[in-house]
Amino acid sequence: MIKIVKRDQPSRAIFFFTPVLAIFLTLVAGGLIFFILGFKPFEALKFFFIVPIADKYGFSELLLKATPLCLIAIGLSFCFKSNNWNIGAEGQLTFGAIVSGGVALLFYEQEGFYILPTVILAGAIGGMLYASIPAILKTYFNTNEILVSLMLVYVSKLILDYLVVGPWSNPEGFNFPETRQFSDSAKLPLLFEGLRIHAGIFLALAAVVISWFVFYKTYLGFQMKVSGFSLKTAKYAGYKGKKMIILVFLISGACAGLAGVGEITGPIGQLHREISPDYGFTAIIVAFLGRLHPVGIIFASLVVAITYLGAETAQIFMQIPKYTGQVFQGMILFFLLASDYLLFFKIKFMGLKK
Amino acid sequence: MNTNLKISNVTKIYPGCVANDNVSLEFNSGKIYALLGENGAGKSTLVKILSGVIIPDEGKIYLNQNNLKLNSPLDAKKNDIGMVFQHFNLFETLSVFENLIIDSDEQRESLREKIDTIMKKYNFSIDLDIPVLNLSAGQKQKVEIIRCLIRSPKVLIMDEPTSVLTEQETSELFLSLKKFSEEGILIIYITHKLKEVMQLCDEVAVMRKGKLVSVSEIKNENIESLANKMVGQNLKTIKKKKVKTSSDQLIKITNLNFTSEDPFETNLMDINFSVNRGECLGIAGISGNGQSELFQVLSGEIISEKNSIEFNNNYIGDLNPQERREYLMAFSPEDRLEQAAIPQMKIFENVALNNFKSSNFFDNGLINENKIKEHSKKIISDFNVNTNNIELKSQFLSGGNLQKLIIGRELITSPDLLICFNPTWGLDVGAINYIHETLIKINEQNKSIILISTDTDELLKLSDKISVIHKGKLSKIMNAEEVTSEKLGILMGGAN
Repeated sequence: MIKIVKRDQPSRAIFFFTPVLAIFLTLVAGGLIFFILGFKPFEALKFFFIVPIADKYGFSELLLKATPLCLIAIGLSFCFKSNNWNIGAEGQLTFGAIVSGGVALLFYEQEGFYILPTVILAGAIGGMLYASIPAILKTYFNTNEILVSLMLVYVSKLILDYLVVGPWSNPEGFNFPETRQFSDSAKLPLLFEGLRIHAGIFLALAAVVISWFVFYKTYLGFQMKVSGFSLKTAKYAGYKGKKMIILVFLISGACAGLAGVGEITGPIGQLHREISPDYGFTAIIVAFLGRLHPVGIIFASLVVAITYLGAETAQIFMQIPKYTGQVFQGMILFFLLASDYLLFFKIKFMGLKK
Repeated sequence: MNTNLKISNVTKIYPGCVANDNVSLEFNSGKIYALLGENGAGKSTLVKILSGVIIPDEGKIYLNQNNLKLNSPLDAKKNDIGMVFQHFNLFETLSVFENLIIDSDEQRESLREKIDTIMKKYNFSIDLDIPVLNLSAGQKQKVEIIRCLIRSPKVLIMDEPTSVLTEQETSELFLSLKKFSEEGILIIYITHKLKEVMQLCDEVAVMRKGKLVSVSEIKNENIESLANKMVGQNLKTIKKKKVKTSSDQLIKITNLNFTSEDPFETNLMDINFSVNRGECLGIAGISGNGQSELFQVLSGEIISEKNSIEFNNNYIGDLNPQERREYLMAFSPEDRLEQAAIPQMKIFENVALNNFKSSNFFDNGLINENKIKEHSKKIISDFNVNTNNIELKSQFLSGGNLQKLIIGRELITSPDLLICFNPTWGLDVGAINYIHETLIKINEQNKSIILISTDTDELLKLSDKISVIHKGKLSKIMNAEEVTSEKLGILMGGAN
């Protein structure tokens, strides 16, 4: 007989084990889906998860996709750890890209060492500005940040659409919805000849280190932690709860904005309609899969980045629509939430007794 | 038709607390019954059992001799038990009529007719087509009552219905309730307000700590007798040794007011008192009369006018708790698990919540873990916290040990004034004694205490002066020797 018993305390081992379990279950379920669709499951999974990263180019692509996911998820972890549900990172990414793209266009065909830092800074500020909207509405007008941040995603996408079709569109671009190419001084340098991986990865790694330091070593991080567990306690201790809320939104907005900068000043080098394949939403999965821990987020961003690549390979070699990637992302989150049940409950196997 | 509701041997146990301990009660229609008790006495649990929200561990409910199986609120509705909760369950943006039709299966037209008849009969005047958010609290409550009346209930339960009403709305409500009762609806009225019980009800059942203490007719009771039953008889009269208190004033509160936007909080009106060095001022009262608000105003969680609080010759009314700590004040809130400490954090992290500049827990914005740990070890040994592992999450400490840790954390910096709120709530006798001894020791060191407590015994044992808070107002301050628990009972009930 099987019995489910509540744990006295959430298990530390299980806490790190459930993400692994979730990935395993995703593979099993994915294999099953491939089987039902008429593919050989193991071969299909190989195309999905191994072939795309088997060579140097593939590995570079993996890091390229993981960079924005990691950066955004690190920012989101500040919000989520303090119970602020910012799910509009995609909008903050887009707006950050718009602002930094606008600045980059100002320097069209100009050169100078100062251009790139300005463009990067503009992206971070853009993301912060956009994240400050739900933060201020939440703290001073009691609105729900989930709704506001989500709806602002669509607003930012429409603004981007308008700009690349209208005022910012390339005059020599035959009406394609895109801007001019940024000058080389406004682009993040590529790290290796022939590969697309660019210097944006250092921004992500810096974010990992800084967030670890802030969370675990500073008074500010301690205050965020306390405010996240209980606003009543934060008030009693004398912390400024409202400022803390706005601060975590600004941090996560800045990270998303930087991810946006990476997308447009990296290999692409211009603003266009589809700057992000929903990195801002997928990063929510990454943040939770990584247990909101900086190191966990690195691994999680790599795992989830594979689903983007795998989807493309699967489309090319197996004629499966690339949206299968989203199916896998959904399954990871689904199985993660389901296996989190084990954090609080354990399954007891008992003898057949009446 | 006569309605008879019988509760038979109902027991409900939560981890660490018996909410209802073998409660049996019988009600008959034609009378209004009061269920009286302090917060946490178990009346809400009992009422939730009657309305199907909670399923009891043991015991049965009979309505007109039929054993009811109340597994959900729907079952209670089907069995003609109506319930108006303290917090309204209405959709603010929908119209009154839409709110009423949601859980009804009648046709729109016939329902409207029915509502009109009900409103005419009881003299309710509410526009059915305006959104609920435009209604006053009293009107919202009427909507909830109409919602029950539509189903022509046999039993109507009102949970603390007057906590959000004005005086006038309250008397209107009482008139309606009396009318319902005359028409044969059995009314159970839950409250901790003694005056209302005397005004409205015919019979009263008093609960304390999960147990039914007494059932009696109102005509045989008065406010004092009920208050004594509610808070418990004063069994021991051990007082602390009278130490010579100085006339050196430490804290003075002048014309302090607090008006809350939250209708479930109590406004504080014109609070004035002072405490001298070495003194303990006790503040008695039935819970929910403004104690929590008073604590927050004193601790700085609620900020007031600068001049309203004078501490050690500084005006500090506009400072937050952390800033007040720098002036050597310390605070021990009522809620150990949700406010004074964070159960999911380690012991030493909880110690860092009480942070002074001079304690150097945080140097230049960085956490100085060694300093905090050193300090935590001292608290644990000085205050007998039964563990030697400061890395332990504080949820694994017993209530008594957690409270010792909190009191220790607040006292180890030797503050001039400790403000504590129900410091021994829910603790076992050993821990209570330890906390009491500690508090007495503070006074002996010429430090002061403001003790806000709902435990009359505790107040009489520890205080030098006592005042009673009722509906956000403080009574005059009395010397503890002149006070008896009977006298406190009268004041707690709101009499002068």
